[in-house]
Amino acid sequence: MTDLVIADLYPGLLRTYGDRDNVVVLARRAEWRGFSVRIDEVGRGEAIPADVNVIVLGGGTDSVQQILGRDVARRADEVRDAVARGAVVLGVCGGYQLLGRRYILPDGSEIQGLGILDVETRASRDRIVGRVQADARLWGRSFDLVGFENHGGRTTLGTGAEPLASIRRGHGNNGHDRIEGAAQGSVVGTYLHGPVLALNPELTDAMLARALAPVTGGKELDPLDDALERRAHDGLARRVRDDRRPARRHRLVAAAVAAVIILAAMGSSAAVERHEGSSVKGWFESGWMDIAQAGRLASTPVPIT
Amino acid sequence: MDPRDGRGANAPGPVLRGWDALIAAVGSGVASLSRSIGAGAGTSVPGVVIERLDPGFIRRRARTLTFTTVVSGTNGKTTTAAMLATILEAEGVRVLSNASGANLVRGVVAALASATGNEGAAVFEVDEAALPRVVDSVQPDVLVLTNVFRDQLDRFAEPEIVVRLLSDSARALPAGSVLIANVDDPSLWHAVEDLRPIGFGVEVGVPTTSGHESDPEVCPRCGGALRYRRRTFAHLGAVGCAACGWESSRPAFLIEAAEEGRVDRLRLSIGGRSHELKVGGEHNAYNAAAAIAAASSFGIPPSRSIDALASFAPKFGRAEHLAFDERSFWVLLAKNPVSCVTATRQIESDPRIRAVVVLVNDLAADGRDVSWIWDAGLDELVRLGVPVLAGGLRAHDIALRFRYAGGAVDVVEPDVRSLLRAVRTITQPGDDVAVLATYTAMLEFRRAVLGSRRAGVADATEPVLR
Repeated sequence: MTDLVIADLYPGLLRTYGDRDNVVVLARRAEWRGFSVRIDEVGRGEAIPADVNVIVLGGGTDSVQQILGRDVARRADEVRDAVARGAVVLGVCGGYQLLGRRYILPDGSEIQGLGILDVETRASRDRIVGRVQADARLWGRSFDLVGFENHGGRTTLGTGAEPLASIRRGHGNNGHDRIEGAAQGSVVGTYLHGPVLALNPELTDAMLARALAPVTGGKELDPLDDALERRAHDGLARRVRDDRRPARRHRLVAAAVAAVIILAAMGSSAAVERHEGSSVKGWFESGWMDIAQAGRLASTPVPIT
Repeated sequence: MDPRDGRGANAPGPVLRGWDALIAAVGSGVASLSRSIGAGAGTSVPGVVIERLDPGFIRRRARTLTFTTVVSGTNGKTTTAAMLATILEAEGVRVLSNASGANLVRGVVAALASATGNEGAAVFEVDEAALPRVVDSVQPDVLVLTNVFRDQLDRFAEPEIVVRLLSDSARALPAGSVLIANVDDPSLWHAVEDLRPIGFGVEVGVPTTSGHESDPEVCPRCGGALRYRRRTFAHLGAVGCAACGWESSRPAFLIEAAEEGRVDRLRLSIGGRSHELKVGGEHNAYNAAAAIAAASSFGIPPSRSIDALASFAPKFGRAEHLAFDERSFWVLLAKNPVSCVTATRQIESDPRIRAVVVLVNDLAADGRDVSWIWDAGLDELVRLGVPVLAGGLRAHDIALRFRYAGGAVDVVEPDVRSLLRAVRTITQPGDDVAVLATYTAMLEFRRAVLGSRRAGVADATEPVLR
C-alpha cells in the first residue's frame, strides 16, 4: 500500500501561475523520508482516488474557473467525503477561491465552490500584485510565510474559517483585514505562488505530517537538510523589503524629471494629452519607471521584449 | 504593395521640417546626453521626452512612412521583426526599425525621430500593451501577431487579457491593411479569424509532447478539450474540438522545420526550397514563417525570402554567440516558461555544450513572480549531466528547482561577474557554454562579457568575436 496518495486536481487547467510543482515538493519531501508516494492527475469528469491523502489545486484564470464551474459543482460531495476521511487539501489562488463557498465574477455571475472553506470571493477590477511576507499559524505551528500574490478576487472569511497568516508586508486576501489565506480543519487556502510549498517547507511539512498521520501515528517527521529552502525563502523575504526602497527613489527621480518637463512644456505651446488609460498598461507605460530604473540597470533600453 | 517599386515615387519626402525637425533635434540632444552621462542607451529617454513635449509627433511622422509593418505577441517579436528587415534589405530596401527591446510607444517615437528619410519601409516590434496605441498612431500596412503565452503575469494578469489586446488592435487596423496571425495558436487565431487573417504555421519532424509550460488546452469557442492533429511545442499546433467541432484553419504559409543538433542551426523548407538557418530552435521556424508571410504581402515570394534568411544572424540574446575568456557563450533568452523550454531543448540537442549557466532576475522587466521557472523544463537539464551554475537575484530558487528535480547545481552565485569566474574554473578553454537568462539578467550578462555600457543596445556595432 502506498503511504501517500496525492491528487493533482485539474492539472491541465489550473496551471497558469506555476503552482503545479507544489505536488512535486510534497512528493519529494515524503520520498526523502522513506515514504512511498503516488501522484494521480485528476481532470474534468475523472474521479478522485478513494485512498487519497492530499488534494492540491493551483491557480487559473477567471475563464478557466468558469469552464471548471460545472465540474466543481458535481464533485463537492466527493471532495467533502475525502476530507471527512482525513484528506489534507491545499488550494492556491484560483484553487483557493474554488475551495470556498462561491466566487462572484465581475459580471455578477457566480461560480459555486467546493464549500469546504468558509470563505467567499468577489472579483474586483483592480488586481492585488506583489511580494508577500506574513506570520502563519497552522495546527499549532507558527512560521514565517513568503510568496507572490497576483489576484483580482477579494476573499473574506466566514466564522467557520481561521486566518492562515497575518500580513507583515503585502496585501493578502482582500487588502483590508491584513489576513492571508484561510484554514478549516485539514483544508488550507492561500493566494501565494512561489511555488508556496517550495519556499515554505514548514507549511509543506505541516501538511505532510497531517496527511501521513495514518502511517506515522501522528509522530513528527524526520528533519531534512533545508539549507537551500531557507536561502530561497530568505532571498524572497529580502526582495519583499527591496520592494519599498526603490519606490522612494522612483518618487524622487519622477519628481525631478517632472519638474524639468513641466518647465519645458511651459516653454512650448504643445498641448499635453493623456494617452495612457488602461489598467494593464498602467505603471509600465507611464515612462517614469524606465528612467528610474536606469540607475539600477545601467543600459536597459526599455525592459520588455 | 511593393516597397521596391515604391522607392523614389513613394519614398517619404525630406524628413523633418520646421517644428518636427526641432522636436527631433531635442530628441537627439536628449539621446546623446543620456548616453554621455551613462543613464541609458539613448533609445528610450528621447522618446519619453518627445512624447511629453508633443504627443502628436508619432502620428504626424508615421504618416510619412510607407510600407509599415508592426509585429506583436508574447514571444518572437524581436526575431520576426529582424528577419523581415533582413528580407527587405536583401531586396535593396532600407528599413527603419526600433531598437530591440525599445518596443513601447516611446521606442517607436525615438525610431521615428531618427529617420533619415531614405527608408523605403518600416518594421516595428511592439509590446502587447502598447499595441493599441501604436496601431492607432502608426496605422500600419501589415500587422503580424506571433503568439500568446503566459508571460509577465504580474503585469498582464492573464494570457486572455493579452489575446484581447491583440485582437482589439487588429480590429482597429485601417481598411486595406493586412493581418497576419499564427494559425497554430488556438486562442489567438480564434480571436481574430473573423477578420480573415493570413495564417502561418509550422510542421516539425518530431512532434513534442507538451509539458507544464503549456497554457490550458481548451477550445477557445466552447471550453472543451482540444485534440491535436499536428503539434509543434507548448500549446501550438493544428487542433480540433470534439465537443463543438471548431477547428483551426489551414495555414497559407506552412514551414517545415528540422533540428540540426546545434543551438545555432535549424533546417527550414517552404514550397520545395530548403535552407539552413543560423539560429536554432523550432520557435524560430514560426518567426521565419511570420516574416515570410509579411514579406509576401509586399510582393516578395517565399522562395526569395527564405534565400535571404540564410544569411540572417541572430542577435541580442537569441542564440547569440559571445566569445569571452576563451570560451564560447551561447546566450538564450528565457523570459517565460515556453521560451525557457524551447531554449532548454536547444541546449539538450547540442552535444558541444559543456556547461549551462542559468540566470534568473525578478525585476519588473523579468516578471517579479518567478514561480514559472518550476514549469520551464529546467528539470531536463539534470539529465544532461553537465555542470550547472545558477546566478541572478533568484539564484537560490534555481538551485531549489534542481534539488526537487533530483539533481543539484554546481555553483550558486547571484553576482554575474563572480559567476563568470566560476565558469572559468569549471570549464576548459575552447568549451561551449550555454547561458539561459531572463531579460534583465541577459542584459547584465552581455554587459559583463562585452564590458561596455553599450552592450544593452541592440543596434550597437559589436566586435566580431569568433
